[in-house]
Amino acid sequence: MNLQRILAIAAKEWREIVRDRLFFSLAFVVPALLMLLFGYGLSLDVENIPFAVVDHDRSAASRDYAYRFIDSRYFRFHGYAGDERMAGQLIGSGEVRVVLVIPPQFGKSLAQGRPAAIQTLVDGSFPSRAMTTKGYVTAINAAFSLAAVAQAVSHATGLSQQDALAQLTPIALESRYLYNQSVSSIWSLAPKLIMVILMLSPPFLTALGVVREKENGSIFNIYASNVSRGEFLVGKLAPYVAISSVNILLLWLLAVLLYQVPFKGSLLFFLPATLVYVLCTTGIGLLVSVLVRTQVAAMIVTMVVTMIPAVLYSGLIIPIVSLGSGARLVAQLMPAMYYTDIVVGCFLKGVGLLSLWRPLAILAVYACLLFAIGYRLFSKRPNT
Amino acid sequence: MADTIIRASGFGKRYAGHLAVSGLDLAVQRGELYGLIGPDGAGKSSLMKAVAGVLSYEQGQLEVFGQLLDSERSAEAIKDRIGLMPQGLGQNLYGDLSVEENVDFFARLRLVPRAEAAARKEQLLTITRLAAFRQRPMKQLSGGMKQKLGLVCTLIHAPQLIILDEPTTGVDPVSRRDFWAILAELIASQGLTALVSTAYMDEASRFTRMSVLHQGQKLAEGSPAEILQRAPGSIVLCRAEPQLEAMRRLSAIAGQCEAMGPAIRLFLPDMSAEQARGRVSTVLAGLDCQQLDVLEPELEDVFVALLATPGANGQQAQTLAALAAPRQALDSSALAIEAKGLSKRFGDFVAVGDVSFQVRQGEIFGLLGANGAGKTTAIKMLTGILPPSSGSGMVAGADMKQAGALIKARIGYMSQAFSLYLDLSVVENIRLYAGIYGLNRQQTALRLAWILDMAGLHGHENDLASTLPMGLRQRLALGCALVHQPRVLFLDEPTSGVDPLGRRAFWDILFRLSRLDGVAMLVTTHYMSEAEHCDHLALMFAGRVVADASPHAMKQQLLTELGQLYQVRADNAAALVAPLRQAGFANVSPYGTALHVLTLETERLGMVLRGLGVGQPPQVRPISMEDVFVQRVGQLEAQKAAQKGSP
Repeated sequence: MNLQRILAIAAKEWREIVRDRLFFSLAFVVPALLMLLFGYGLSLDVENIPFAVVDHDRSAASRDYAYRFIDSRYFRFHGYAGDERMAGQLIGSGEVRVVLVIPPQFGKSLAQGRPAAIQTLVDGSFPSRAMTTKGYVTAINAAFSLAAVAQAVSHATGLSQQDALAQLTPIALESRYLYNQSVSSIWSLAPKLIMVILMLSPPFLTALGVVREKENGSIFNIYASNVSRGEFLVGKLAPYVAISSVNILLLWLLAVLLYQVPFKGSLLFFLPATLVYVLCTTGIGLLVSVLVRTQVAAMIVTMVVTMIPAVLYSGLIIPIVSLGSGARLVAQLMPAMYYTDIVVGCFLKGVGLLSLWRPLAILAVYACLLFAIGYRLFSKRPNT
Repeated sequence: MADTIIRASGFGKRYAGHLAVSGLDLAVQRGELYGLIGPDGAGKSSLMKAVAGVLSYEQGQLEVFGQLLDSERSAEAIKDRIGLMPQGLGQNLYGDLSVEENVDFFARLRLVPRAEAAARKEQLLTITRLAAFRQRPMKQLSGGMKQKLGLVCTLIHAPQLIILDEPTTGVDPVSRRDFWAILAELIASQGLTALVSTAYMDEASRFTRMSVLHQGQKLAEGSPAEILQRAPGSIVLCRAEPQLEAMRRLSAIAGQCEAMGPAIRLFLPDMSAEQARGRVSTVLAGLDCQQLDVLEPELEDVFVALLATPGANGQQAQTLAALAAPRQALDSSALAIEAKGLSKRFGDFVAVGDVSFQVRQGEIFGLLGANGAGKTTAIKMLTGILPPSSGSGMVAGADMKQAGALIKARIGYMSQAFSLYLDLSVVENIRLYAGIYGLNRQQTALRLAWILDMAGLHGHENDLASTLPMGLRQRLALGCALVHQPRVLFLDEPTSGVDPLGRRAFWDILFRLSRLDGVAMLVTTHYMSEAEHCDHLALMFAGRVVADASPHAMKQQLLTELGQLYQVRADNAAALVAPLRQAGFANVSPYGTALHVLTLETERLGMVLRGLGVGQPPQVRPISMEDVFVQRVGQLEAQKAAQKGSP
């Protein structure tokens, strides 16, 4: 290893990156942009569901029932619809996602203690959202029923309505969410986005940077000189690791300042651990770059080998434990899952090396392995 | 022998089942400028990369500096002594880095000590005249300058062997001559050995020795003179009317017979100049013979002679049998293309300025110019792809401003890249173009048969376009451009990358199309030797037409203005450049082992040379289109520089 050669290659690479506007934005702008776009776009909270009411009853009770929904932060009242046909059109055009149909005689039935049926029409085109919506509807409906029963009981027994309610619900459920008290999805999402973006950006930059030289022929300058493989790879990859290190800080700042995610762990553990992860993903880029010949191929292959694991097999959307056994095995073979443990642990749980040494060690081994394979496959005297 | 730098024995290289080179033997001695000549796909690059130790190979042995290259480790042992400049204009350089930063990078990569690197950099930048551009980003250099910078970067660590892969491809003729002059100077002054490849046959005489490669095989090896002796004979250049009848008679006596505009050029093997003159005179008896010159064969003639197989001859015989009589009455006075004051401006930049020319029906019109001279922009305006900023034009009887769609239906266009669908078969490609031009089933069948005949594609109907050799691919592209029987054909650098045999077959087809079917053609080319096939030429420089005449007239004008071209042979040719220039001969340039001098003062040249101790008298050489181009552009550049100098 000769330091002068490494520096020559690294300096050349750095100049090319900062002078090429496209590459520069790919390096510094795209990661932050992804953080913003995903952060605002990928919210998994279901709130402000637009809904309409078809009220065939038009009684005090039916209005009372509708107000239960109108007042909820989970629903946004779109208006009353004349009949079911109009309501169907509203759902069809996507203006509302839920329609409540209150039958005639609703108030009278309740007052007489007879059961009344409310029809709920839910837009089922996104199953997970529809299920959540149905959950909300059920909960509000249950609360209303309970209140109605409590009222009847208090009427019959003379108990106050509050006492009657307490009698009717002997078990009160008290839930407290650990690590994310307000169950805000962005708290859990932002740290995982750091995982996704650092899975995408470093391999893209690395693969394009190396393959660009292969494609235009400047790699022959390296092949034909007495630069060693190691010197070339170190010099070539160092700028990309440096760029990703800057991005680590940038993404961390965005998470903490913009999305207000609490950071409970220690930066002294988080930053080096993230660097190991970046080395690992850079290694993926290196491996792609020695296997393909054109920049287009490099982009497609990198996309496939990074995007899918980062989104599906990392715990970003579906927790690893909820995956099928085959999918879980895939997840365990990918580095993303291990870094998810680290980043979530650092941000939300405030744990450090003591509990996270295992995923960190796995990432380190992963990185070493990728670089070893990349080094082995990179030849200065290829056969094509 | 200690001084053999490169020795290949039985060298062969295979790519995924396809053999690029096989059984090649070669030896390059210290101090030689060794050439590898051949068309694309001849195996030049594979051999050069293997010699540079950047490509593994399967067959035979390769020794460089006595070191057997058989593994990555052994190849490393020679890399401090070699410099490689791979193919492609500036492709191995870094576009966003300045000239100086590029050089510095190579120096640091090669661990050249700082002081030595600085000194060499100054020296090399001065020789290549790049010193004034050291701050300019590489991507803003012209093609010729990029190649010179590539040479500087290759030489910065003082290698003993340099390997240059097609350094002059895509570079305009002026810059090409400049590059060769600089290379010759550097090789002489630095004691280098060089392995250089080229696809231009006319560059062959610049090498000390060379190998002519074709389809991975060595056709010939030796000095230019030795190779020329492989196919002795004479070239006859004659003009006789009617040309079609002359062509028919002459092609019966010579295998190599081609039309050069209004003239005919043929190669008569094993005949002396007198025999050849007599033979042609007899054959042409009864025709109006206006010109009959006998010349020496050039390397391209030898190449074609070496390659000519019975199959190729058969094909030419068949095509010439069709030369009976014009199939339709030709109105040669009708204008096919007329450009009047065409201009195209992009912001402040004038890509094409006030260009006017006329092309008659049945005429082959050549548009010459360096990269960026405005040729492609002019073609795009005439074909209705790009609206002109000002000026007007008529193409195939329609106004190009108003009748864009009509023009497109009446013209054919064949682009540089041949615009074929490589994953479709020959027939599928033709059917696709027939469909695009709206031919019905019956017309399609007729044209399909015609194209297969014309291009000699029988037996290849169901081959994928990607598997065809370049020559056939090019003729298929021509057929696709002709599928709707256009009256006007635009050809943008149609022969790039095709071997000489293929190029000749191609020009033969173009000749028949123009003379028999009356198709007008506008051709751009950077092969100056091909410009001589045209009936008429327009030379473009910096967006303007600066010369507009027949090739013959252009040469005559140069002869009257600047005189004859003389070749001076001497042992110390390179050392004679300076004294000759001092003696007032401005147009002196080194040419391989000889000098070329263009002068009106024949007697004084002889005297000065005798005074310099040169025994052999200077020989008259025929002027080539390249000489015309280089001289004209040289004059124009000098004018431009003078204008800039005096505001």
